Amino acid sequence: MKKTIAILLASTGLIAAIGLPAWSAIRGAVPFERLHDKASATSHDAGAPPVLVSNDDSVGRDHERRLRRGDDNDHDEGDEEDDDDDDGGNASGPAPAGSVAPPNNGLFGTGAMPKVQVN
Amino acid sequence: MRTIFAALALATALTLPGMAMARPVTLAATLKSYGGNGAYLAIYVTDPKGAYAGSLWVAGTKSKYYEHLSDWYRATGGNTAEINGITGASVGAGRRLEITLDLADALFDAGYTVHIDAAAEDMRDSPNEIAVPLTAQGAGQSVPGRRYIANFSYDL
Repeated sequence: MKKTIAILLASTGLIAAIGLPAWSAIRGAVPFERLHDKASATSHDAGAPPVLVSNDDSVGRDHERRLRRGDDNDHDEGDEEDDDDDDGGNASGPAPAGSVAPPNNGLFGTGAMPKVQVN
Repeated sequence: MRTIFAALALATALTLPGMAMARPVTLAATLKSYGGNGAYLAIYVTDPKGAYAGSLWVAGTKSKYYEHLSDWYRATGGNTAEINGITGASVGAGRRLEITLDLADALFDAGYTVHIDAAAEDMRDSPNEIAVPLTAQGAGQSVPGRRYIANFSYDL
């Protein structure tokens, strides 16, 4: 019996210790809508014209196509630039230069291997 | 001895026409410092009618990103068989890519145009960033790019 009462007291104390600060924080918090109203009111009181914080003159840019490596599941986040190229090609990728002769597309003369240099 | 001479003569006869019909051409592209990761580039040629004739080089090895080299991709469907043996790493911002290829003489002064499509991570794709007619006179002349390529030239 004593044990039960002790447990009850301890849990009540714990709830009070945790719950009271949380409850008062909730009570004291201003709802987001009111914050917005306050900001508008301040702006109107001062007679200041509303300021456009961001004017993205490139509207429609996001409709442009972009290469996003974030879609790549083969690597972890934070991979460095060109890390994809360290793979030495992948199963579905093309054969890297030097491993096979250039394609016979009529553009290449003798089938000599290309020489590449990046500075 | 006669057999050796005959073999040598035959080899020379077979090799010389090939050498006469092709020449080493160095393509050089310097990228701008655009502040992004390495760029994927597709260098390809169109014929006098503007139709895709073939690829010369693709920088960037992951085929899943090739669709962003949009004009090239439209022409090839991203077929990696088109670029086996002519593919290398993507090119970092501010870097200079130099490729020496043995190109057919028939491409020069015959209405062919070399094009470059470019794309970089989280930045706009740039199809037809470069379009330069392949002429003997145009060799060594630097041409500016639109978005990622500072300049491009080819030397014979």
